[in-house]
Amino acid sequence: MLKSLSRAVGTAVRLSTVTTSTARAVPLSRPTLCAPSPATSRPFTRSLWLMSNNNGASSGYRPKLFSSRVLRPSSVSCGCGALHTEGDKAFGEFLSDEIKEERKIQKTKSLPKMSGGWTLETNGAEVKLVRSVSGEKIMVTFNPDIVSAPNFVVEVTKQEAAKHSLVFDCHFPEDEIGHGEGEEESDIFAIREVSFQPEGDSDWKETSYTLNTDSLDWALYDHFMDFLADRGVDNAFADDLRELSTAMEHQEYIKFLEDLGSFVHCK
Amino acid sequence: MGVVLRNLQKVVPFRRARLRRDVDTLRLILGVQKLDLGLICVDNRRIQQINNTYRKRNTPTDVLSFPFHEELRPGKLPCPLHRDELNLGDIFLGVEFLMKQCQEDSTDLHSTLTVVTAHGICHLLGYRHETDEEWSEMFQRESYILGEYNRLTGQHLEPLTKRCSQDS
Repeated sequence: MLKSLSRAVGTAVRLSTVTTSTARAVPLSRPTLCAPSPATSRPFTRSLWLMSNNNGASSGYRPKLFSSRVLRPSSVSCGCGALHTEGDKAFGEFLSDEIKEERKIQKTKSLPKMSGGWTLETNGAEVKLVRSVSGEKIMVTFNPDIVSAPNFVVEVTKQEAAKHSLVFDCHFPEDEIGHGEGEEESDIFAIREVSFQPEGDSDWKETSYTLNTDSLDWALYDHFMDFLADRGVDNAFADDLRELSTAMEHQEYIKFLEDLGSFVHCK
Repeated sequence: MGVVLRNLQKVVPFRRARLRRDVDTLRLILGVQKLDLGLICVDNRRIQQINNTYRKRNTPTDVLSFPFHEELRPGKLPCPLHRDELNLGDIFLGVEFLMKQCQEDSTDLHSTLTVVTAHGICHLLGYRHETDEEWSEMFQRESYILGEYNRLTGQHLEPLTKRCSQDS
């Protein structure tokens, strides 16, 4: 099995459309969110709207779907005017137990520290790690809400010539490959794309030339990895980031459960 | 294809570009540039695991080679019939183990990686060092490779076989 690494990668390259001898095989799978297509959901919701709309019924017949009596669950009032059911009570108790269990799993309330002098900034779901080294600013951005081993973006800005930042779109290939079949050996993290983007511009230009590492000269790829390592983005950093992201995601989950409990209880 | 380099460990920082350049030089010297080679850098825990699985030795080590062409006679290059067979095999470098050795011997890690990879490639090409005769044959081959490497790069590297026990 072990001797098959270079062959397995070779096969991956051949299966793709890349034909150059210097093609680099980085797993292509990415997590995708499946949203229902508007084309399929709209006619259904629209037909419900027509059924419930007085003007929609040309014959004067009023369908009883929304106006009929609903089954009222056994309710308990707390004086807030909102509905409180026995189900809500059970839900609240379940949430309390769940929060207790999650807190037990949580190692510490504080987040793990990133070694290497990184400063942590959070802005909603987005997390930024920033450090400055000899006239350069390195900023790593990720979103821990999606997965605990998230894609992350590294922006390197030279303060002397700050027109553009060099931007690396990175990911954790090991977490994207289905385990079980074969013994594919992947780097802890990998670069997916490299581009220049206007410095400080939050809206990146889609038109900027983007270098995809799928078909990149491997020697150039290694120089990119060394470039990042020199700026503190190496395997140890990636491992710390994964740990931080997992802890943040867990912290957010507990907070969500608490908010949910408060909402259900009208606290 | 070429050299598929993977760094699976976070203990020892090293220069990927330099390792690739040095290994490409070794491949050129041996005339095996057209053959793929996997080079996987691992920590002590991982190489111990592999050593135990494949050699029943439950200790970390410096290098483990897994030849693609298992029946090669030393000195004979493989004759691949298909594209799939343009492959030398994989070398696992125990970089954490090697780093400790380098600290003890006050030697440079990257030079050591080159020496150890040259040793690993010899194994992929059928060389062994279980008998005195095999040892001598492998030592000569490594001496030649590193002699050429030194001539091209101005370094002074010596074969691993010179100091190795029957370990890798």
